[in-house]
Amino acid sequence: MNTLIKNVSFQEWISSWNSGKITAPEHSTNYLDQLRTNAVNHIAALKFPSTRDEEWRFTDITPLKHAAFKQPSAATELTASDLTQYFIDESVIRIVFVDGQYMPGLSSTAAQHGVTIDSLSKLVATDISAVTQHLGQIAEYHNNAFVALNTAFMQEGVGIVISENIVVDAPIHVLFVATQQEVTACPRCLLVVGAGSRITLVEEYLALTDCAYTTNAVIEAQLADSANVNHIRLQRESREAFHIANTSVQIAHAASYQSISIALGAQISRFDQHISLADQHAQCSIDGLTLISDQQLADTHTWIDHIKPQATSRQLHKCIADGSAHAVFSGKIIVRPDAQQTDARQMNRNLLLSDKASIDTKPQLEIFADDVKCSHGATIGQLDADALFYLQSRGLNLASARNLLTYAFGAEVIDFIPVDSVKQQLADLILAKTRIH
Amino acid sequence: MSVALQHLVNQPYKHGFVTKIESDTAPKGLSEDTIRMVSSKKNEPAWLLDFRLEAYRRWLNMTAPAWQNVHYPEIDFQAISYYSAPKSKKKLASMDEVDPELLRTFEKLGVPMHERAALAGVAVDVIFDSVSVATTYKEKLAEVGIIFCSFSEAVHNHPELIKQYLGTVVPPGDNFYAALNSAVFTDGSFCFIPKGVKCPMDLSTYFRINTEESGQFERTLIVAEEGASVSYLEGCTAPRFDTNQLHAAVVELVALDNADIKYSTVQNWYAGDENGIGGIYNFVTKRGLARGRNSRISWTQVETGSAITWKYPSCILRGENSVGEFYSVAVTNNYQQADTGTKMVHIGANTRSTIVSKGIAAGHSNSSYRGLVRMTPTATNARNYSQCDSMLIGNKCGAHTFPYIQVKNNSAHVEHEASTSKIGEDQLFYFAQRGIDAEEAVSMIINGFCKEVFQQLPMEFAVEATKLLSLKLEGSVG
Amino acid sequence: MIRADSSILLEVHDLHANVEDTEILKGLNLTVKRGEIHAIMGLNGSGKSTFAKVLAGHPAYRMTGGEILFNGMDITSLAPEERARAGLFLAFQYPVEIPGVANDQFLRLAYNTVQRQRGKEELDPLEFDDFVREKMKLLDMNPGFLDRSVNEGFSGGEKKRNEILQMALLEPMLAVLDETDSGLDIDALRIVAKGVNQLASQDNALILVTHYQRLLDYIEPDYVHVMEAGRIIKTSGKELALELEAHGYDWISGDKTRASGVQP
Repeated sequence: MNTLIKNVSFQEWISSWNSGKITAPEHSTNYLDQLRTNAVNHIAALKFPSTRDEEWRFTDITPLKHAAFKQPSAATELTASDLTQYFIDESVIRIVFVDGQYMPGLSSTAAQHGVTIDSLSKLVATDISAVTQHLGQIAEYHNNAFVALNTAFMQEGVGIVISENIVVDAPIHVLFVATQQEVTACPRCLLVVGAGSRITLVEEYLALTDCAYTTNAVIEAQLADSANVNHIRLQRESREAFHIANTSVQIAHAASYQSISIALGAQISRFDQHISLADQHAQCSIDGLTLISDQQLADTHTWIDHIKPQATSRQLHKCIADGSAHAVFSGKIIVRPDAQQTDARQMNRNLLLSDKASIDTKPQLEIFADDVKCSHGATIGQLDADALFYLQSRGLNLASARNLLTYAFGAEVIDFIPVDSVKQQLADLILAKTRIH
Repeated sequence: MSVALQHLVNQPYKHGFVTKIESDTAPKGLSEDTIRMVSSKKNEPAWLLDFRLEAYRRWLNMTAPAWQNVHYPEIDFQAISYYSAPKSKKKLASMDEVDPELLRTFEKLGVPMHERAALAGVAVDVIFDSVSVATTYKEKLAEVGIIFCSFSEAVHNHPELIKQYLGTVVPPGDNFYAALNSAVFTDGSFCFIPKGVKCPMDLSTYFRINTEESGQFERTLIVAEEGASVSYLEGCTAPRFDTNQLHAAVVELVALDNADIKYSTVQNWYAGDENGIGGIYNFVTKRGLARGRNSRISWTQVETGSAITWKYPSCILRGENSVGEFYSVAVTNNYQQADTGTKMVHIGANTRSTIVSKGIAAGHSNSSYRGLVRMTPTATNARNYSQCDSMLIGNKCGAHTFPYIQVKNNSAHVEHEASTSKIGEDQLFYFAQRGIDAEEAVSMIINGFCKEVFQQLPMEFAVEATKLLSLKLEGSVG
Repeated sequence: MIRADSSILLEVHDLHANVEDTEILKGLNLTVKRGEIHAIMGLNGSGKSTFAKVLAGHPAYRMTGGEILFNGMDITSLAPEERARAGLFLAFQYPVEIPGVANDQFLRLAYNTVQRQRGKEELDPLEFDDFVREKMKLLDMNPGFLDRSVNEGFSGGEKKRNEILQMALLEPMLAVLDETDSGLDIDALRIVAKGVNQLASQDNALILVTHYQRLLDYIEPDYVHVMEAGRIIKTSGKELALELEAHGYDWISGDKTRASGVQP
């Protein structure tokens, strides 16, 4: 892929965009170039988000604004043995990125009849029609500065196109590894799943460094009629990192999308998830667990848009905040006038483990149809004193009782993960993280 | 759907008449001069004029809020008259000297201005356009030390109290409309319950907008000293005009140790016609400060009128063990818009709050609940429970829930629940099969839906609210 | 046409009815006299519950042919509440929950509406409370039911008892019990059946819509009809139910020659 934009830092992007200095590349017939050009042109109309914006009210990203991170000039050389421990036992197909750059030598792609699972540039080369039909069509950049930035500066990513009635049994592992400090990566993933097909995707962000860097990722996914996608998202960036991610999913008739998003890492992380239930009987369940401590800030914003009748949505989002951490959740369910017989349920539960931790939550319903079942709920609290006492009365000391209950609180979400090795790995991780030291 | 659930009928607004009475109305427009004029007409002390001018200067630097989920054309603040009062030749010695036309108006509205005609011993302060025209039972209340009078009167007779409390809960620069009110408010009610006194009767203020181009900017201040308690009721109506009138009131409540203030509103301002023409813009700031230990502030509102309602009766729970409550029913029909809810700010330890909000939307209307529950780091063991239910009748309307929950204390407990319900065909058929027609079924379901709120209203108000709701939604389902 | 036989309570002739565009009832005939108990049996999907709902005038079902005479009056153009007030009662298979509406309020409103229709005395809340508690004893119901919302959070058996309680209050001329036995354990079934039997008299009639013989052990029908594909294909005495229980519905469905829909 061409690099349209010269290598500039995040800070430079922002200052040049605020001053209108970013100039669009020259006109090109190439779809991707045109998409990037449009995004660059649009960036001038967007402001860098601040806490004065309703959607960023609780998440101050000023530190990111001042981070002078460039796209890396070269990725760190890694061998398979550096990463083996992170590979998923069940996966045969694996796409690995290091510092935002695609690593064919560490990856194992698939290209057979009706299935392309490869880098985005490979997809551009082999199936440009899938790219022109979908890339930039699902992830809306006009009102979102970070999607616009990703669209303007995307260089590489993942392209997955599955045609009709194909089941890919083994989970597809997409691994983003960070090794360098003060770099920015803008990976872009396109996922097109044909009618009646099924896949499981594990999207993972991992750090082999303790340093600060930025990830600004965008995933767009299109599920055709009766398609079925399991999407597991593991964010375990370094404790100094900035992680911004947008996932947009369009779900067609009777198709079903299940996602489980786990946020553990980063100094500041923000995950936006837009789900369009675009046709009748579409289904989604989007669950999440945020587990943070110290000075971490983790923000999850979700939108579930019921556009057509008889669609179903389920959401359970949990946050556990320790230390001085700050967790934010905003979940909006929109039921459009057409979307009669919608069945939407959302629950947000939060656990504050320390007296310095804080939670801001905003579950929202916007309903324009009368024959619907919608409910949402939110709770914020601490561990149940009765349950603690019960465990103590059975001989556990307070610390172990507390650990056990905290773990159980998080495990409810982990249990939904359909890939056993990932579930086990996370269970161990959560157990370690919830232990009082 | 085989039964049309949507045919909407408008019950004519019963309070839409205009009283022909000579009034003293200020020219339109707002400037420091207007404020000086209002202040001098009311013969106010200099400190109050300063309060107004300070608020005005702040207001000039503010912009009208745009975050709420309501839509209306920009208001031209220079096209509003900021003072309108029924002309009276001399100071009234007794109720019998009130202009008979005015008396007839309030009789028509069912507001008892004659003490001998008053029901159930409710003391009433009546605000007509900008000024208080009558207050009943004043002497009787004075016997136990309660001050209940118009705000203007209080400024002259109890300046030390006004000075002590005015603006302490809603500061002049709090928000755009509160600043405007602080600059131009003309009258309102003042109520002071001294230490240890339980107010022997319900106190009530009745607000009436009569003039087409005047805004109503009243100011209410209620102070309950240590151990005092009071139940206060507020009712509002306005004539039908094709233009929109602005109502930007400020209500401040202060509860000291062990004091208890219960504030109930049945809001029935003119809502506009079935095409959304006319109606009141009801942009109100209501806030209570539970300052003392064990104090309690309880808001109950039944919002049925106004073209646009935009208000969040709130509680600042500063005193230890203080309690805040908000019970609300908001009904919208035709093109009405309501964005209402509450803020519960927990500062003191062991503070508790309860929010019960019921929104009913019919026609093309939109009803939003917007609420904030904030647990500050000092609010140890604070508790909140919120329940926000909405019901839609037809599918041209919208119901929205925007709760904000902010917790900075790990011993606090917050629980929020929201759900939607409907009046379904199956439910109506079940009623019908037992011989009960749709109108009666709907009224029963609606009253059931709102029960938890109606239970909070004083008896007479509960009856009025039930009637009002049935009228409002009559024929909206069938 | 003058009907000489005033003992006839319900006459259904060649009834056809649709749900959306699907024809469910395809020419059903039935005559019910005062003092009679009829059972309508059949497999799921044979149209028996549809018949019950069409009788009561459910708006989701459209009558496309035939006639229904109730007490000599054509009721096909009557609204559901008018049919109810005329004395037609349906005990629902799945009674709907009505959150927020207290059961006692609902029962009193229904009772007074029907009383008014009959030119009889209405009861105030206190009088009604005594009256309804008396009726509840009949069904061995806990008075706590009165304070709860209509059917909300009731178990299946509680909902069914609440239906029969309403039948006891409204004293209909014709009661149609749609799968009233489903969801009842044997003790509850006995209690409900006892209540129903006490309400049955020479002046009223009952139609039991059921899949199983079980209920008929406790409420003895005079006639048993078998429905299939939207019609009554066989009518006989109560022994038919036992045969169905023993041999299953297959035993009968091949034998269309005996179909009549009119009892001997």
